[in-house]
Amino acid sequence: MDVQATITAPFNYRRWMPYWAVLRTDMRQTLRSWVYRLWVVVTILAAGGFLLYRFGVHREAGIAQPAAVHTSDLLRAIALGSLALIVILSVSSISSERGTLADSVLSRGISRYQYFLAKWHARTLVIVTTFAAMAFAMLGLFHFLLTDDLTFGGCLAAVVTISALLAAVVAAGVAVGSLSNSTVVGITALWIFLYGSGLLMALLPYSLPTPEKVLARLPYVLQGEYDLNTLTDWVFGGIVTAIGLAIVGMLGFSRKDV
Amino acid sequence: MNGSDSEHVVATEHLTKIYQNRQIALNDVSLTIEQGCVLGLLGPNGAGKTTFLRLVLGLHRPTAGRVKVFGRPMNPNAATLRRRIGYIPTNPQFPGGMTPINYLDYMGRLFGLPINVRKPRLAALIRAVDLLSHAGTDIAQFSAGMTARLAVAASLINQPDLLIWDEPTHGLDIEARRSMLELIKTLAHEKTLIICSHNLSDVDEVCNHAAVLSQGQLIFQGSLQDLKGRIRKNHYELDLEGDQKSISKCVQQIKSFNDVKQVILRQRRMEIMLNEETLNTAVLSKVFSVLNENKVALVSVRSVGQQTEQAYLDLVEKEESRGFTRLYSPAEAA
Repeated sequence: MDVQATITAPFNYRRWMPYWAVLRTDMRQTLRSWVYRLWVVVTILAAGGFLLYRFGVHREAGIAQPAAVHTSDLLRAIALGSLALIVILSVSSISSERGTLADSVLSRGISRYQYFLAKWHARTLVIVTTFAAMAFAMLGLFHFLLTDDLTFGGCLAAVVTISALLAAVVAAGVAVGSLSNSTVVGITALWIFLYGSGLLMALLPYSLPTPEKVLARLPYVLQGEYDLNTLTDWVFGGIVTAIGLAIVGMLGFSRKDV
Repeated sequence: MNGSDSEHVVATEHLTKIYQNRQIALNDVSLTIEQGCVLGLLGPNGAGKTTFLRLVLGLHRPTAGRVKVFGRPMNPNAATLRRRIGYIPTNPQFPGGMTPINYLDYMGRLFGLPINVRKPRLAALIRAVDLLSHAGTDIAQFSAGMTARLAVAASLINQPDLLIWDEPTHGLDIEARRSMLELIKTLAHEKTLIICSHNLSDVDEVCNHAAVLSQGQLIFQGSLQDLKGRIRKNHYELDLEGDQKSISKCVQQIKSFNDVKQVILRQRRMEIMLNEETLNTAVLSKVFSVLNENKVALVSVRSVGQQTEQAYLDLVEKEESRGFTRLYSPAEAA
């Protein structure tokens, strides 16, 4: 090994380049991960099967199948069912790299803040974009194959609202992953918290707003019957929760041993 | 390793690391490393070497005390300080599905190097570490030697002033190890290095300073010469060639010298122990004269116990045997 020192002209370091490098690499790794692929394949198969069944009923039996009702059922099922895999994807983003792999990144010219932000943004982008893409594809197919009672504004509002809620879950996952020493413990803790709090919220009086009630109102939202202010509050609430959780995770991670 | 604060590349003050109130990994370590120093960080398994390195890199936060690198406090967010450090962990791991070009480009980006600096550097480094023919191969298919070379390249992509290499010769074959040691010697001309190694002959060959950790405590800090000087002096081993009778005769003659404490002959190997205060050159010249007179040839001569390994073992053994007295003079040697 003959390593010669090369003389280079003075240059300025690119302050945010490490962030972009981790963001890009993490997005690529997420897209390649088997958990992500499993999530996409399972969702497409489930949606495809559901759609074929409803289309069969609509076409062969001649029973009217309102697209809004069935799409909202499917979206709700996908959102709730996907939680398990989304939690795995988000918690593992930082915690699975802890140890030697993180060493080779965090020992370079990147701050913990940048590393956390890059991981959080990468996972949020991939998960939310994938969900939105799959949701719009499903809505499009339902629109053409079943009795059409969907509105574009309603579809957009529904997808944006669920995406905001998922973004909060992703932020919680990345934050838990950055603070826990074990991926398995982090995933288990977040599963218990999410499904446990979902169960508890279902027991709350009907007058209190919960994510479950937002999902229950999806058929009306898809038909265009929604209160924009209420949905905006939910979207805003989801984003604020995501940012809050990310700040907690980021501050905790910046003080943690890796 | 004395000097003013500004000259210190690394300075730790009362550095202590306790993991979750369960394990004391490092205990009150105050160590300074000057520019141009090649420090061999020694110690048995679990002595706290890797913990020390991780604290210097800001991967861990100290429980007490502080670390300064290039005169500034190191912490997990001190990215600008880490831009001046090149690190190789014990078992470097690489993200899957990357080629050496991708990986070094990624490392360059992590240092914020612009493309016109990053690309020429990575090309030069890949060539320098003999990975040119494997530049497009997936790293997952690399042998231990190839990954070690890639780790070297990654640690040099930012042209660091301080290199921290944890077990750089670990798992390398003889040729690769030799190559690595030669590289360290070359780099030592212009950079400060901290080499953590279990292989004391490597440390002996490339380092000019040593620090010894034992059970999380710094038990020695100084030059390698100082470390060697701590053990018994004036003990030599001579491998001889000649008639056995003549050699025995030489032994008798040498035993009669005033400054010679003991002479032991095993086959054709003669061990000579001189009085500690004796000027060795004077006595050894007389020894060589005796050998010459008896027509005994000298194959080799070496100073027994002046090896780093011996000094290190003595030091650790001595430290462990001190028992409770360690409480009152914890860093006798430092």
